[in-house]
Amino acid sequence: MLKLKVLMLLALFFISSVHAEKPYVEKQLLQKIGKKYKVFAKRRFFFLQQTLDDVQNGTDLEKLKAVNKFYNNVRYKSDMKVYRKKDYWATPWEFLGKDMGDCEDYVISKYFALKYLGIPAKKMFFTYVRSTKFKQPHMVLTYFKTPRSEPLILDSNNRLIFPASKRKDLTPIYNFNGEVLQKGKKKKSHKKWDLLKLNMQRKKI
Amino acid sequence: MTLFKQIALMLSIFLIIILGTVLTLNFQSANQSVQDRLYDDAKNTATSLSLSLGSANGDISMMSTMINANYDSGAYKQINLVDVDGAILYERKQESKIADVPEWFLNLISIKAPIASANVSAGWSQVGILNVQSDTTYAYVQLYTILKSLLLSFTIIAIVALIILNLLLHAILRPLKDVQKQAAAVIRNEFIIQETIPYTKEFKDVVLGMNNMVSKVKAMFDKGNEELKHQKELEYIDKATGLKNRKYLIDRLPEYLKVDSVSKGGTSIIVALSGMIEANEKLGRRDVDKLFSEIADIFRHSSRIYKNSIVARMNGTEFALLLPDCPNEDAISLANNIYTSATNLIEEYNLNAEETFVSIGLYEYSHMDSIAQLLSHSDNALAQAKFNKIHIHLEKAEEAVEVMGKEAWKRIINQAINKNRFNFTSWAVVDFKAKKLVHNVLSINLALDKHTSYSYAKFMAPAIQSGLSCDIYKNVVNMLLKTPDMVLSASTYSLRLPSEYLEMQETYETISNLLRTSASTLPFKLIIELPDRMVRKDSKFIKLYKELFEQYNIDIGIFEFIGESDDYQYLQDLRPVYIKGESTYFLTQSVQSISALRLITDSIGISLIAVGVMEMEVVEELAKKHISIIQGRATELIEF
Repeated sequence: MLKLKVLMLLALFFISSVHAEKPYVEKQLLQKIGKKYKVFAKRRFFFLQQTLDDVQNGTDLEKLKAVNKFYNNVRYKSDMKVYRKKDYWATPWEFLGKDMGDCEDYVISKYFALKYLGIPAKKMFFTYVRSTKFKQPHMVLTYFKTPRSEPLILDSNNRLIFPASKRKDLTPIYNFNGEVLQKGKKKKSHKKWDLLKLNMQRKKI
Repeated sequence: MTLFKQIALMLSIFLIIILGTVLTLNFQSANQSVQDRLYDDAKNTATSLSLSLGSANGDISMMSTMINANYDSGAYKQINLVDVDGAILYERKQESKIADVPEWFLNLISIKAPIASANVSAGWSQVGILNVQSDTTYAYVQLYTILKSLLLSFTIIAIVALIILNLLLHAILRPLKDVQKQAAAVIRNEFIIQETIPYTKEFKDVVLGMNNMVSKVKAMFDKGNEELKHQKELEYIDKATGLKNRKYLIDRLPEYLKVDSVSKGGTSIIVALSGMIEANEKLGRRDVDKLFSEIADIFRHSSRIYKNSIVARMNGTEFALLLPDCPNEDAISLANNIYTSATNLIEEYNLNAEETFVSIGLYEYSHMDSIAQLLSHSDNALAQAKFNKIHIHLEKAEEAVEVMGKEAWKRIINQAINKNRFNFTSWAVVDFKAKKLVHNVLSINLALDKHTSYSYAKFMAPAIQSGLSCDIYKNVVNMLLKTPDMVLSASTYSLRLPSEYLEMQETYETISNLLRTSASTLPFKLIIELPDRMVRKDSKFIKLYKELFEQYNIDIGIFEFIGESDDYQYLQDLRPVYIKGESTYFLTQSVQSISALRLITDSIGISLIAVGVMEMEVVEELAKKHISIIQGRATELIEF
C-alpha cells in the first residue's frame, strides 16, 4: 500500500514537472536551429536551457549573473561581418545560433532570457552608453530593482555585474524599454524594437 | 428602354462605383498616411526631446522650459512628462480650433493623433516617460485639400471616361441601330437591304437573316407584280388586235358613269364588221386577222385626241370606242372618218364592199347612265346603223327631267359653300369574316336649312357641271380638320379626295397648313383615299402628299382600283393601308389574277376592300375569292 502511494506521488511529480514550464527554446524551433546551425548550435541552446533551468527558482541577482555569464561567452563580431548590415538587432536564436554578434545582440538575448526567468520587463532597459575606454558608442542592459534605485549593468565587455556607479568607463546617454513605451494599442514605438518584435514573432533563426 | 441606354446606364454605374471605390480607398490611404505622419512627427519629437531632457539631470524647471520651447512651436496638441510612479511632472495641452475646414468635414472624418512616448533618464537613473501628441489641425487641412483635389480629378476622369464610353458604345452599337432601322422598315413594309455587314458576329447573323428575309419578301412582291401584269394581259387584252377587251370596258365603265365623274358624258361608239364569214372564206384567217389589226389601228388613231378614251374589242366583229367629253357633232365626223378609212381598207383587201362593210352606232351617253343603259342604247344605235343606208346612226341621250335647273343648283351650291352648309355623314366598312368594323367612310350632305337637305349623289353632279366641286372639297377638308368634333367619334374615318381637287396648285398648301395647325388635335385616326388613276402615275403631287400624310401619321387608301397599271411598284412606294375596288371587279377577276394581286398586297400589308356590295349573295361570292372587307348596303345586313 505504501509502495503504491509512493508510486502515485512520483507519477504526479513527473507529470507536473513535464508540464511545469515551457522551455525557452521550443522543441520544433530547436530542431530547425539544429538543421540550420548544426549540432553545436543545438548543444548551445541545450546548455542555455540548462542554465536557465538551474536559476529558475533563484534570486534576481542569481538569474542576472547566470544569464550574463552564459551570453558573455558568445564571440563579439560586428553586424557588418555577421549580417552584412551596418546595424542589425538579432533575435536570441540568431545570436546564439551563429554564436556571434555585437553589443545590442547581447543586450537583446539577455533581456529575453531574463524575461523568461520571470524578471519584469519594466525593470530592464536597453541603455545607450558611451564607452570612454574604447571611445565608441555601446549598449548595455540595465537592471533597476526599483524605478529609483541604482541600476546594475550587464555588459558584454565585462563578465561581472557592477552597479552603475562602479562603471566609470561608461557614460549613460539614453534608456530605452520598448515594452514600457508600447503600453496600450500603440503598434509602433521604436523602429529597431518594432522589427525585432516582428522577427521574434516569426521565430527568425 | 433601348439596349444602348441599358448598357450605357450599367457601364456608367459600374464606372462610377469603381471611381468611387478608388476615390474612397485613395482618401483612406491618405488619411492613414497623414495619421502615420502625425505619429512619426510626435515620435521624433519625443525621442529628441527626451534626450535633451536627460541633460537636465532631473531638474523639473529646466525640463519644463525645454518642453515649453517645443510645445510653443504649435505643432502639438499635448506634451507631458510622467514620472516612474505615473504622476504627471509637467504637462502642456490645448484644444485647437480648426479653421479653413468646413464643419461637415470635421464631423465626417475622425483623425486621432497617436501619442508617442520616450523614456527620459538623468544619467543612469530614470526620470520617467515623455508623451507627445501632435496637433490634428494641419492633418485636417491637408486631408481636406487632398479630398478636394481627389474629387476634382475624379470628376474630370469620370466625365472624360463617360464621354469615351458613350463614343465607344455608339461605335460598337452602330450596327444595332442599322438593324433597328431595317426592322422598323420591315414593319412599315419597306424593303431595305443593309449593304454594310457588321463585324460583330451576333449583329452579322441578324443582318444577314434580315437581308435574306427582306430579299424573299421583295422577290414575292416582284413575282406578284409580274404575275398580275401577265394576268392583266390575258384578261384585258385582245391578242389579235392588241386592243382592250369587253371585260376591260365593263370594269372601267363605273369610273365614267358616276355622279362625281370628272366627265359628265360623251359618246359611245360601237363599230360592227359585217360579212366576215365571206371574208374568211376569201382571204383566209391570217389575212382577216391582219385586216382586224389594221382596223384597230384606225380606232386607236381616231380616239387618240380624247383624254381617258377607251377602245375595246367587244367580240369577234364588234368594237367599242368610249369617248368622254366628245360632242355628238365631233363623234359623227369621227364616225365618218372611221367608216371611210375602214371601207378603203376593205377594198384594199379586194373584198366586196357590198358583203363586207362596217356599221357604226353612236350613243350620246350621260355620266348618270347605268352600264346597262349605255350598252343597250349603244346596241340600239348599232342595230339602227346596220339598217341605215349610210351605216352610221346617232342615238341621243334621253333628256333627264331636272327637278331644278342648272342655275338653281349653282345658286344653292354657292350659298352652301359661302355659309358652310355641309355636314358629315358616314357609313361603315366591315370585315364580315372577323365581324368587326374596319373604319367609317365619310360623306357629305348639303343641308340648306332645317327642312331641306341634299345627299352627295344629288348635289355633286350639278356641282361638277358648275365647276364648284373643288370649292366644296375645300370647305369639307377645312371643316374636317378644323372642327373634327362634327364627326363625333374617336374611331377611324376615311375621306375620299378626287384627283381634280388634289391636283389644284393651292390644295397642297392648304392641306399642309391645316394639318400643321390641327393634325395633333384630331380625335380620330384619318385615312385619305386617293384615286388609283392618279396614284399609279406616280406624279410629283403623290410624292408630296405621301410625305405630308406620313408626317402627320395619316394613312393613305386607294379607291377605284382595277389593276390597270403596267407596274405595281407604285403600291410599294405609296404603301396604302388598303385598296378599294368595285365588287364586280373582284368578282370578274380570274383566280390567277386575284392570287397575283394578293401576293403583292399581302407582301406589303395592304387590305383589299370591295365597294358597292349591295346583297348577301355578292358577299358570299367575295368570300370565295377570300375578300372579306366590304363597303356598301350589305354591311347593314351583317350581324356583329
